[in-house]
Amino acid sequence: MILNKLNLSQSSKLENAIILSVILFIIKILLPVYSVFTLIISEVLMLSAIFLWSEYLFNLLKKNKNQEISLILNSGITCALIFFVLSVSGTVIDTEEKFSFQDNIVSSIFSLLVIFIFIYLVMYIFSVIRYLFFLRQKKEPGKYFVTMMIFMLLAALSNTLLTLDYSLDYIKKTFFFVSIILIVINSIRVSWIAFLTKKQKLYLLLISIILSVLFITNYGISSDNVFITQIISPFSPSFYTIFNLIMIYGGIYFGIVFFTALFHLPTAEAFDRKAVEVSSLMDLSKILTKVLDIKELAETITELTINVCNTDCSWLLVKRDDKFDVAALKNIGFIEANNISEKITQNKIFKTENILTLKNDELVFNFKEQTLQSQFRSLVAAKLIIHNQIKGYLVTARKSQIPFDDEDIKSISSFADYAAVALDNANLIKESIIKERLEKELDVAREIQYKILPAKTPDFKNIQISALFIPAFEVGGDYYDFFLLSENKLGFVIADVAGKGISAAFIMAEVKGIFETLSKLIESPSVILSKANEILINSLERKSFVTAIYGILDTNTGKLKFSRAGHMPLLLISDGEANKLTPPGLGLGLDNSGSFENSIKDMEIQLKYNDIVVLFTDGITESKNSDLEDYGYNKFENVILENKAEDPDRIANEIIKDVSTFSVSSEQHDDITLVLIKWKFNNFSLEK
Amino acid sequence: MAEFNVSTRNIGSVDIIELKGYLDAHTAPQLEKTFNELINSKKFKVVVNFDKLSYISSAGLGVFMAYVETMRENNGDIKFTNLQDKVYNIFDLLGFPMLYEFFTQENEAVKKFGEAE
Repeated sequence: MILNKLNLSQSSKLENAIILSVILFIIKILLPVYSVFTLIISEVLMLSAIFLWSEYLFNLLKKNKNQEISLILNSGITCALIFFVLSVSGTVIDTEEKFSFQDNIVSSIFSLLVIFIFIYLVMYIFSVIRYLFFLRQKKEPGKYFVTMMIFMLLAALSNTLLTLDYSLDYIKKTFFFVSIILIVINSIRVSWIAFLTKKQKLYLLLISIILSVLFITNYGISSDNVFITQIISPFSPSFYTIFNLIMIYGGIYFGIVFFTALFHLPTAEAFDRKAVEVSSLMDLSKILTKVLDIKELAETITELTINVCNTDCSWLLVKRDDKFDVAALKNIGFIEANNISEKITQNKIFKTENILTLKNDELVFNFKEQTLQSQFRSLVAAKLIIHNQIKGYLVTARKSQIPFDDEDIKSISSFADYAAVALDNANLIKESIIKERLEKELDVAREIQYKILPAKTPDFKNIQISALFIPAFEVGGDYYDFFLLSENKLGFVIADVAGKGISAAFIMAEVKGIFETLSKLIESPSVILSKANEILINSLERKSFVTAIYGILDTNTGKLKFSRAGHMPLLLISDGEANKLTPPGLGLGLDNSGSFENSIKDMEIQLKYNDIVVLFTDGITESKNSDLEDYGYNKFENVILENKAEDPDRIANEIIKDVSTFSVSSEQHDDITLVLIKWKFNNFSLEK
Repeated sequence: MAEFNVSTRNIGSVDIIELKGYLDAHTAPQLEKTFNELINSKKFKVVVNFDKLSYISSAGLGVFMAYVETMRENNGDIKFTNLQDKVYNIFDLLGFPMLYEFFTQENEAVKKFGEAE
C-alpha cells in the first residue's frame, strides 16, 4: 500500500530500518541533553524505524506462508517473553528510585538495547496479527487496517506532544480511544478460523485464551510505573503508546479469536468432513480425466468412500454379462464381499425383515446379527447408473449399527456417480478400440481386393475394353480378370463371392489363384468352371458360393466362347438390341454330386462390328433407391443402348452416372463391377 | 430398414415356413434359427412358402444351402413354393432348380412329400 508507493524492496526496508536505528542510537548517546528539538528528531526517526521494521516483518510472513497456529504460538512466546521481562523488572528492580538513561553511558546503551529488543518483539506481534487479518479475506479490507494504523500513529505522536504541553491530553485520549474502536472493528475479521480442522480449533481455543489474558496483563503491568516503562516512556513516548495499543490489540484480538473458535467448535466436525469430501471429489475429477483403467479408479473410489463416510469397508460391483463382479475392494475379503453382493443384486436381501430404510433411491440397510453372516451391521449400496441402467453398485459397510445419515448417503451417491462416469468412459474407450480394429480389418480386406484386380486392361488391336470396380462400404467379393492365353486369345473372368468382409476377400484371392492356373491349362470355359467348382466345393463353407462367367475371345475372328456358373447374364449389345445370354450352369460351390458338370454348357457367339459384350455383377441391377426398388435390367439396357456408339469407357461412365442418380438417396450396399468389351473390327469387309 | 418375418405351421408331417419381406445378410439369422429349431425337434420335411418374400440376397440363399444336406440325410428335403418371378429369377440364374424342387402351389409340394413315403 503506502510502502508499495515508496517502492522499497524487502532488503532496503531492513537496511533503512537498521540505519535509522543506528542514527537514533548515536543521537541518543551523543545528545543526551533533553531538548524539544532532539525529542522530535528522535521520535520521527523512531516511528520511521518502527514502520519500516513492521513492514519488513509483515512481508516476510506473507512470503513464507506460515501455518496460522504456529504463528500464533510464536507471537504467544513473544508475548510471554515481554510478560516475563515486565514482571521481573517490576519485582526485582526497585522502582522507587527514578531511573534515567541519561545517568551514564553504560545504562544508556543498556536501555537502548532493551528498547530495540522491545520494538522488535512488539512489531513481530503486530505483524502476526496483521497477517492473520488479511488471511482468507475475499474483499479488500486494507483501508480499515490502514486507518487504524494512522490513528495509532496519531495517538503515538500526540503522546509525544503531551510531554511538551500537558494540556493537550484530550487529543491523545481521543486518538487513543478511536484507535481502540478501530482495533475492535478490525479484530472481528477472523474468518480463517473456519478453515481450521477440529483439532486445530481446540488447540487454538487453548492458546487464544492464554494469549488474551497475557496481553491484557502486559498492558496492565506497563501502565504501572515499572522499571521497563521507566526506560521506554521517557525515551520514546510514541513507542510507549504503540506498545500499549498493540498489547490492547492482542488482548482484544485473541479474546475474539477465543470466542469465535468456541462457537465454531460444534460445527467443526461437519466442516471437516465437507472439506475432505470436496477435496476428494476434486481429486476424483482429476483422476477421471487421466485414468483410462477402471481398476485404478475403483481402488481410489473405495478408499475415499471409507475415509469420507467413516466406514469399515467398501467395494465396487461392475456389471459384466448380466452378472455383477467385484471390481475393487478395500478392507474386506473377496468371498465375503461376493456373498453380500449376491444378496444385494439378487434382491434376496429384501426378503429379510431387517431393512431399515430406503432413502434417495439408494439401498440402505441395518441388520440384526447373522443377517449377512458377516461382521457388518449397516450397509449402503449406491447404484451406478449409466444411460438409465444399473451398471454396478458402490457398497460400503460398518461393523457398528450406527445408521448412515443423509450426509453419508449423499457422499456415497456422488462417489457412485463418479464411478459411473468413469465406467462409461472406460467402456467407450474399449468400444472405440474394437471399432478401430474392425476398420483396420476392413482396410486390409479392401487392399486385398484392389491388389487382386488387374491394374490395367489389356491392349488388343481389334477390341476396346473398359473395366470398372466400385467397392461398397462393406467389402464384398467381386472379381474380374483378363488372361493373355496366346497372341490372339484373350481369356476373361468375372466372379462374385457370396458374403462380405474379410472372408469374402480371402475367397476372392483363392478364386483368382484358381482361374490364373486353370486358364493356362484348359481351353474350354465349361471345363475350367467345372474344375473350379471341384476345388471350391472343398474350401467354401456350406452356405457360401461363387458365381462366375469365364470366356475366351479370339481377337482375330471375333469368336467368343463362354460359360456361366450361376452368374448374372452376359449382355450382348448387337444391332441396337440388348440380349441377355444365360447358358445353363450352377453357381460354384453349390453342388458336389456331379450335377455341376451336367448342368454347365458352353456358348459360342460371333461378334460383329461395334458389338458390345457387357459383364457385370448384381451390384448394378440390385442398386436400390429410397423406396427399395431395384435399378433393374430395363434402365441398365436403355442407358447402354443410348450410348452404344460411344467408346466403352464413356459407356461405363454413363452407366455409373445413371445408377448413382437412381440410388442417390440410399447407401451402396454391394460392390459394383462392370466390364465392357467392344468389337472394333469389321469382319464382313474382310470376308468381302 | 427392410422388414422380414418368418412363421411356421405344419400340414401333417410337413412343416411349412412362410417368409415375408426381405431376406438378406441382416435377416438371415432369423431363418437360420427357425431351421435349427426344426432340426432339433427332428422335423426334416420342409416346404418354404415364398409368397410374400420380395427380395433374397446371396446370404439368404446360403441359408438353404446350409441346411438342405441335413434334411436330405434324414429322408427329408427343402422344397420351394409360390415364388414371385423376381425371386425365382435369382434362384434360376444360380441353377437352384437343378438342385431343389420348386412348385407354384404349396399343396403340390406337400403332396410330393406324401408320395415319397
